[in-house]
Amino acid sequence: MMRGGKIAVRLLGPGPIGLLCFFAMLLLPLVANPYLLFVGTQLSIFVILAVGLNILVGYCGQLAFSQAAIFGIGAYGAGLLKVHLGWSFLLSVPAGAALACAVGTLIALPALRLYGLYLALATLAFAQFTQWVFLNWERVTFGAGGFRLSRPAFPYFTAGTGTFYIALFVAAILVILAARIIRSRFGRAIIAIRDGEVAAESLGIDLLRYKALAFGLSALYAGVAGGINAMTLGFVAPETYDLFLAVLLKAMIVLGGLGSIAGSVLGAGIVLILLELLRAFKSAQEIVFGAILLSCVLFAPSGLAGYLSTRLDSWRERYVRAFSPLQAGAARDAAEASSSASPVSGNA
Amino acid sequence: MLTYLLLGGLTSGALYALVALGIVLVYKATGTINFAHGEFLMISGFLAYSLYVFAGLPYLISILGAVLLAFLLGAIAERIAFRPLMHANMVSLVLATVGVSFILKGSGRMLWGGRGDYLAFPPLLPPDPIIIGEIILVPQQLVVLAGAMVVMVAFALFFRLTRIGKTMQATADNPKAARLVGIRVEQVHMLAFGVGAAIAGAAAALMAPITLLYPDIGFSLFIKGFAAAVLGGLNSMAGALLGGFLIGVIESLAGGYIATSFLEVSAFIVIMVTLIFKPRGLLGLNAVRRA
Repeated sequence: MMRGGKIAVRLLGPGPIGLLCFFAMLLLPLVANPYLLFVGTQLSIFVILAVGLNILVGYCGQLAFSQAAIFGIGAYGAGLLKVHLGWSFLLSVPAGAALACAVGTLIALPALRLYGLYLALATLAFAQFTQWVFLNWERVTFGAGGFRLSRPAFPYFTAGTGTFYIALFVAAILVILAARIIRSRFGRAIIAIRDGEVAAESLGIDLLRYKALAFGLSALYAGVAGGINAMTLGFVAPETYDLFLAVLLKAMIVLGGLGSIAGSVLGAGIVLILLELLRAFKSAQEIVFGAILLSCVLFAPSGLAGYLSTRLDSWRERYVRAFSPLQAGAARDAAEASSSASPVSGNA
Repeated sequence: MLTYLLLGGLTSGALYALVALGIVLVYKATGTINFAHGEFLMISGFLAYSLYVFAGLPYLISILGAVLLAFLLGAIAERIAFRPLMHANMVSLVLATVGVSFILKGSGRMLWGGRGDYLAFPPLLPPDPIIIGEIILVPQQLVVLAGAMVVMVAFALFFRLTRIGKTMQATADNPKAARLVGIRVEQVHMLAFGVGAAIAGAAAALMAPITLLYPDIGFSLFIKGFAAAVLGGLNSMAGALLGGFLIGVIESLAGGYIATSFLEVSAFIVIMVTLIFKPRGLLGLNAVRRA
């Protein structure tokens, strides 16, 4: 009896449910119309983006606003290599991702000299700079109007179904990879950096190296997502990769839970559904996602993953970032004594 | 050409200086940056427009209305999005004000028009330029410059001479000691958010006749004001003013002599270059670090 209960509890965990969703998604092209298929592809792309951003913000504690811009660099890289040099997607998407990863790591190097607030603002300026390059380097990027791409050709499948499967498999691989990486030496190191830079350094963690790796890894995720996005849309234009998307991504990981892979996936799904429901109303989108950000930070600082991990045994996660104001208030004196350590308790 | 560019640069620079002043005031008092600062400006600009054009009130009253509304918005934002998080970490603080900024931006778009809707604020003075020798003056530029000077002087007097201003200074210097001598630090924070926003409101009412009003104007002015604050030094009021005028002149010259498109990008480049090579800014003091 007891054992049966335990197995049932296990089966409700993020792993089995994720697997179930994956298989359900595999069957989606059999029943879905092109619109649903497109939304499904978009879901995979958002999942990749959210997981990548959560590695940087949720696990490593670096608040950067550059993810949407790097997503754009991945898309532009993949698209432009195809348009200007005639590369196939098979080559241009990985090349675009590599370019995004390189740029992401490069901007990390100067950014790493900056703390908290300054990092947020420097990356915001970088994101706006990237927008400007997309808009004004017209000879290469085709300016404000963007450019079209021919859709990829697949054996047996239509273009829509083919890209759907590619996005789905890549997302699944990258989610599992992220879950593995977080439990590795690298993952423990960046979590230690988040929970206290001085403490981490005193344990022999090379701050610069691990922060740069976290930036690079999250940029790689964004770059891959960018390439797939260019393939899916068949169209690349600057305004897709603007500040609104950056805030959307923040809403996903804050809603899902900072420092939780399962939470990133959930957050991406919920934000995508809301986005589709409000597609025609830009102002309502801004209000809703702004309100989600604000109220999660105020009332549910560890997000859905934090909520689930207190309710369900199988969802218990060790690394969910729980920075509730109340806890922090209790630790106020300690925090004021050592201004560099952030008042965070990482163990749930 | 040069005098024309310089005058244009100084005019927009005066506005950036006002925006930067608000950012620095909040930063000094609370140690954080209010990402909704630009949206306060946008909303109060639209309000000034409504008062002036729809309600037909005199210009001066419209400005005062915009300033008052901005003050209220700032104070409410402090109460909702800053005070509960005062002791939380920086990530939550920034995300909360980003949330506020998007709520305001969406509300502005909903109330005053969709994307691409630009409202033109009628100018106070006839738009014909005055030509004195080689110099071409647009009268509205002079109104903006004079108005900005009035706001700056009024703020400096308030900050240096009044009791409230002095409690703000004390809190900025050392919050713990300020609390010990009986200053209510929370009230000072609220006041800083409110006054910072009120300055942005005044800037909005001044600039509306020159630029047009649109829902996304808040963010672009926030970035310019932030560039000014960083260039001058985030914890220096004088630096904010200097930085504002410098950014205005730099972008005007870059736009005039390199290419028009460089007008928009020079602020971002200044932010990145300053943060990398001289994070303290031109007039900033030590200890700007807050992890």
